[in-house]
Amino acid sequence: MVEQQDGPADSGSRRLLKVEDLSKSYGPIQALRGVSLDIRDGEVHGICGHNGAGKSTFVKILVGLVRPDAGALVMDGHELHLQNPQQAQAHGIAIVDQELSLVPALSVEDNVFLGSLHVPLLHRRRRLQRKARQLLDGLDLQHVPLSVPVDQLAIGERQLVEMARLLGRDARLLILDEPTATLSKGEIERVFRAVREVVSQGRSVIYVSHRLDEIFSLCDRVTVFRDGQAVGTHGVHELDRRSLIALILGEIEGEHVGEEPAEEHEVRPETAVEIHNLNVPGRVRHFSLEVKRGEIVGLAGQIGSGASEVLRALGGLIPEARGNVIVAGRRIRISSPRHALDGGVMYVSNDRQAEGLFSHQAVERNLTAVRLREISRAGMIVRGRARRIAARLAGLVGVAEGRLGSPVATLSGGNQQKVMLGRGLEHGGTVLLALDEPTRGVDIGGRADIHLLVQHAAAQGNAVIFASTEFEEVFELSDVIVTMFEGRIVSVVPCKEANVAAVLADMTTSRSPVGPDGSAQGAPS
Amino acid sequence: MPVRWSQLKARGSLRGLSPFVILSLMSLAMALLPQISSYEVVTAHIFDVMQNFGTLGLVALALGLTIIAGEFDLSVSSMYVLGGMVAVLTGAHSPVLGVLAALGVGVVVGAVQGGLVAALRMSSMPITLGGYLVLVGLTYTISHNKSVAYSNYDVGLWLDNPIAQVFSPRSLISVALFVVAALVMRYTRIGRDVRAIGGDRRASRTAGVRVDRILIGVFVVAAVASALPGALLDYSLASASPQIGLDQLTFSATAALLGGVSLSGGRGSPAGIAAGVLSLSILQELLVIIAAPMYVSSLITGGLLLAVTIAWAPGLGQWLRTFGFVKIDEDDGAELAFHGVSESVQEKQEPSA
Amino acid sequence: MPQDPRLGRLEGVVRVQTASVAAVALVVSALLAYGAVTTDGFLTLANFKAILTATSFVGIIAVGMTVIMLSGNLFSLSLGTTAAVTAMFFLYALQFGLGLAIVLTLGLGALIVGLQGIVVGAWGANPIIVTIGAGGLQEGVALWVSGGHSLLPPTGETSYLHLARPVLGIPFGIYVFFVLAVITEAVLRETRFGRETFLMGENRGAARAAALPITLITVGVFAIAGFCTATAGVLIGAATANGSLLLSGTYTYDAIAAALVGGNAVTGGRGSVVRTVIGAISIATVSDMLLLRGYSTGIQILVKGLIVVIVVVLMNLGRIWNR
Repeated sequence: MVEQQDGPADSGSRRLLKVEDLSKSYGPIQALRGVSLDIRDGEVHGICGHNGAGKSTFVKILVGLVRPDAGALVMDGHELHLQNPQQAQAHGIAIVDQELSLVPALSVEDNVFLGSLHVPLLHRRRRLQRKARQLLDGLDLQHVPLSVPVDQLAIGERQLVEMARLLGRDARLLILDEPTATLSKGEIERVFRAVREVVSQGRSVIYVSHRLDEIFSLCDRVTVFRDGQAVGTHGVHELDRRSLIALILGEIEGEHVGEEPAEEHEVRPETAVEIHNLNVPGRVRHFSLEVKRGEIVGLAGQIGSGASEVLRALGGLIPEARGNVIVAGRRIRISSPRHALDGGVMYVSNDRQAEGLFSHQAVERNLTAVRLREISRAGMIVRGRARRIAARLAGLVGVAEGRLGSPVATLSGGNQQKVMLGRGLEHGGTVLLALDEPTRGVDIGGRADIHLLVQHAAAQGNAVIFASTEFEEVFELSDVIVTMFEGRIVSVVPCKEANVAAVLADMTTSRSPVGPDGSAQGAPS
Repeated sequence: MPVRWSQLKARGSLRGLSPFVILSLMSLAMALLPQISSYEVVTAHIFDVMQNFGTLGLVALALGLTIIAGEFDLSVSSMYVLGGMVAVLTGAHSPVLGVLAALGVGVVVGAVQGGLVAALRMSSMPITLGGYLVLVGLTYTISHNKSVAYSNYDVGLWLDNPIAQVFSPRSLISVALFVVAALVMRYTRIGRDVRAIGGDRRASRTAGVRVDRILIGVFVVAAVASALPGALLDYSLASASPQIGLDQLTFSATAALLGGVSLSGGRGSPAGIAAGVLSLSILQELLVIIAAPMYVSSLITGGLLLAVTIAWAPGLGQWLRTFGFVKIDEDDGAELAFHGVSESVQEKQEPSA
Repeated sequence: MPQDPRLGRLEGVVRVQTASVAAVALVVSALLAYGAVTTDGFLTLANFKAILTATSFVGIIAVGMTVIMLSGNLFSLSLGTTAAVTAMFFLYALQFGLGLAIVLTLGLGALIVGLQGIVVGAWGANPIIVTIGAGGLQEGVALWVSGGHSLLPPTGETSYLHLARPVLGIPFGIYVFFVLAVITEAVLRETRFGRETFLMGENRGAARAAALPITLITVGVFAIAGFCTATAGVLIGAATANGSLLLSGTYTYDAIAAALVGGNAVTGGRGSVVRTVIGAISIATVSDMLLLRGYSTGIQILVKGLIVVIVVVLMNLGRIWNR
C-alpha cells in the first residue's frame, strides 16, 4: 500500500503540482504503479530509489516525453495532457539531465536564449545581455563571461547554463536528474547555491539523486520510489540515513537479493589480472585491484563513480589512461582497443548504439566481429567456421539460430544485449572479461541467463570485472564487491560478508579513500 | 621536442584569429615582393585581387554558410555557372531582369535542396550531388551546348569600371553582401541559429530552434549567393559558357577553410571567409606577378587545402600524443576532463575528490 | 527493466527501408521496360554494345568509388583526375614495355589514392575535402611534368592497342569491368578485409571498440579505389592514345551517381558492387534511350541528376515514415 505523509505542515505553501495515481507499463513490465505525490511551491523535493524503481519513467512523464497509461498531473487546477517536451515547457516544467541541449560552439549568451520564442529577429543585444547576466549571476556564475563558447566551460558550469536557459523561459518546476554525478566538490556546492536561489524565488525543484548526503543537505522533502511505487514522502528532518536506506531497500535490507540459479565456479589461486594505480584524468584515481582466475569482481558505483571508466580504460578506449596493468603475468598496453584485446582483455561497452552493435548488419556478423582472425584463413572468411561459431555463441546466449541472418536491430533490447555479450565469450586469447552494465535493457529472465553466462565464463578460468549501477546485480553475481565513489575505491568486500545497506551507503556517500587492502588512505573528504 | 597538450588545446581559440593572420601574411608578402625581388606590384594587381574577390568570393560564402550550418552544398559551382547562363539568356534587353531571373532560379533550387534535406533529415551530399548534375544538365540544355554571347557590352564595362583604382561595382557588390552576411550572422537570431544547427543539430532541435526553416533558408541563400556572381561575371565577359570544372569548388572550399570554417559545423564567419578569399586571391595574384607557370597555382591551392584539412583534423591531436610528439603530464591530465574557467586553478592547488 | 520502446521502431525502419529499395527497383525496372519497348533502335545488339562500352570506363571507376562509400568515407571527388593522370602516366611508361607500363600505372594509382587514405584514416580528416585537395595537387603535378602538352605513346609503339581492340565483338573494357567487379565483390563478401570494411562503414565507433584496425582498413579501401581508377586510366589511355587532364571528363560524378543510383548508402555499411554495376548500367541505359530519342547531352546529364535525387529520396523515405 502506498504511504502518503505530507511533510511539515507548511500552511503557507501552495501546491504547484499534484500527481494522481500515475501508472505506466511497458509490455508486461510495470514501470509505475499508482504513484501519487505533490510538489509545493518553493520546495526542493528529493526523489530517490535504486535503478529500475521507476524514477526515470516518472520524470519522463512529467516532462512530456512519455504518456502515462493512467493517472493525471494537475497544475493550477487544470489537468495537464503533455504530448511533448515543448508543451511541458510551456507549462513551466523543464528538466536538466545528463544529455544537455547546449551547442558547444556557441557562446554562453547565445545558448541561454537558444530556441526561445521571446527573442526577436534583431536581438537588441544589450537588453538580452543584461537579462542573461542576471540569470547567470543568480546561479552563481558571475565569473563566467557571456561571450565564451560553452565548450570551454566545465560540466558543472554547463549544467547551470542550461538551468539559466530554462529559468529564462520562466520554468516553475525545474527537475534536476542526477545533476552532480560528474561534478567536483566546488561545482556541487555551486549547484546547491543555485538551487537555493531558484527556490527562494518561489519556484520548485525536483532533485533526483542517489547521493543521500545531498538529499539530506538540500531537500525539504523526499519521496522514495521502490518497485514502481512511491513508498513514502517525508520531510527530510524526519529521516536519517539508515531509515532512508531502509525505505529504498524495503524488505530486502540485510538479506541477499534474489534467488537465482547460480553456476558453481571455483576461484583459482592464480592471479589473472593485477591493476596498479590506474588513473584516468578527471575520472579515476589510484585504482588498484587484483583479480584471480575464475573470480568475478563487481564494481558497484553510480554514474560518475568511475567504474565505467575503469573498464573502458582496461579495454583500451581511453588513451590518456595511465597505470600498470598486468594480465597473466605480462604487462599489457591499454593505449588502444587492439592492444587491449591482444593483451587478453575483452571489453563489452555499456553503449550498445555507439560502441557495440552494428545495427544493420546480421546477428551473425555482430557475433563474429571481434574474432575475424579466428574465422578466416589466409585473409578469406571461412563461412562454415563462421557460421558454427556464431551458432554456438547464439546458442550460448539464448538467441534463436533462425535469427542469425536478421539485422541485429530487429532483435529486442534484451537479445541485443545478449549478442553484445555473446560476441565476447569463448574467445581463446581472453583472460579478463571487462563488462560494463552487462544486463542493460534486459528483463529479469534474460538477466538470470546472462548471469549464468558470466559465471560459466568464470568457471572456464576467465577473470571477470563488471560494473553495474544496480546493486542487486552486484550482489547476485560477484565474488568480491568493490564499491566506488567519485573516482576512488571506497571498499573491497567479499560478497558473502557484504551488507546490502553498507554497500548502498558506500555507493552514495563520500568517505575516506581506501586502498586495495582495505586500509584507509589520505585525508577524509 | 614534445609539446604540451594544454598548448595544443589552445589552438581552438587560434582558429578565430588565423584567417586574419594568414591575410596579413599574404598582404605582407605582396608588399615586400618588390623589395626583395625585381618584380613590381602596382595598383592594377590589387584591382585584380579585388576582381577575383568579386568573382568567386560569394561562392565561397555560399559554401561556407552551408558548412557552418552542418551541411555541404556540392552544387554551388554549378549554380554559379547556371546563374550566368540564365542571366545572359534572359537579360538581353534588361540586365536587371536577367539578374533577377538568375536569382529566382537560385531561390527555387535552394528551396528544393533545402526542403529535401530538412524533410528527409538526411545528409546534403547526395542531394546536392544530384542537384549539381541537374544544374549542369540544365545549363547545357538551355544553351544548346554552346557558349552564348551577351550583346549588352555597356553593362560589363560598367561592372568592371575601376572605382578608387582598386574596386569596381562588381567587387563592391560582393563586399556589400559580405557585410550584410556578417551583420546577420553576428547580430541576428537567424545567424545564431545557423551556427546552432551546425554545432549540434540534436541540441538545437531540443532547445526549440526551427531547424527545418533555417536549413531551407541557408540553402536558398547559398544558391542565390552563387548565382549572382555568376551572372555578373558573365555580363562582364559578355558571354556565358556551360563549361565547369573542379576549380570553383576547390577555391571556395580552400577559402572557407582558411577562413576558419570548421567542417564539423557551427564555427566560422563571413568575415573570416572574406579573409580567406582575399588571402587566396592575393596568393594567386602573386603567382601571376612572378609569372609562375600555370601548374603552380593548382599545386599550391591543392596543397594548401590539404594542409589546412590536416591541421584541423580531429584525430591529429590524438595521433601526435600516441606517437610522443606531444606530452601529457599530470597537470595537463586534470585539464583533459571537463574542467574549465573556474576549476582548473583550484584543482591544481587542492587535489581533492 | 522496461524494454526500450524505440526498438519496435528500429524493426519498422529496417522493414520500410527494405521496402523502399524494392519499390525503387520495381519502378526503375518498369520505366526501363517501358523505355525499351517504345524507343526505336534500342533493342538491338549494336545498341547494347554501345551501352556497355559507355559504361565500362565509368563502371570501373565506380567499383573503386563503391568501396570507398561502403567503408563510411563518403566518396572521392578526384578519382576522375586520377584516371586522367594515370592515363597520362601509362602513355609515358609505354616506353618500358606494355607489361611494365601496366604494372607501374596500377601501382601509381594505388599509391596516389592510398596516401589520401592515410590522411583520412589516421587523422580523421574529411574525405571529401582531402580528395578535392589531392585532386588539385595531382592536376598541378601533371601539368608540371607534362609541360602542358598532351602525352602521346612512343612513336611506333602499338602494343597498347590490344587493350583498345574489341574481343569477340565486345570492347575489351567490358571484360575488365566485369572481372574487376566480380573480384571486388568477392573481396568484399569473402575476405576478412571486406567484412571489416562493412563493419567500419556501418558504425565507426563500434568498429574501433571492437579493435578493428581503422587506419589500415581505410588505407586499403582507398588503395583499392586507386587501383581500379588506374585500371580505367590504362584503358582510357590506350583508347585515346592522347593523354591530358581533359580526359578526366565527368568520370568522378558519374561514378558517384552510379553507386548512389544502384542503391548504396552514402553513409556506408550497406550496399555492394553489384548494386553499383546495376546503377551504372541503368544510368547508361537511360542516357542511351534519351540519345536515341534525340535528346541532347544536356538533357541526359539533367536526367542523370534527377535519377540520383529521386533514388536517394526514395531510399531515405523510411526515415520520415518513422518520425
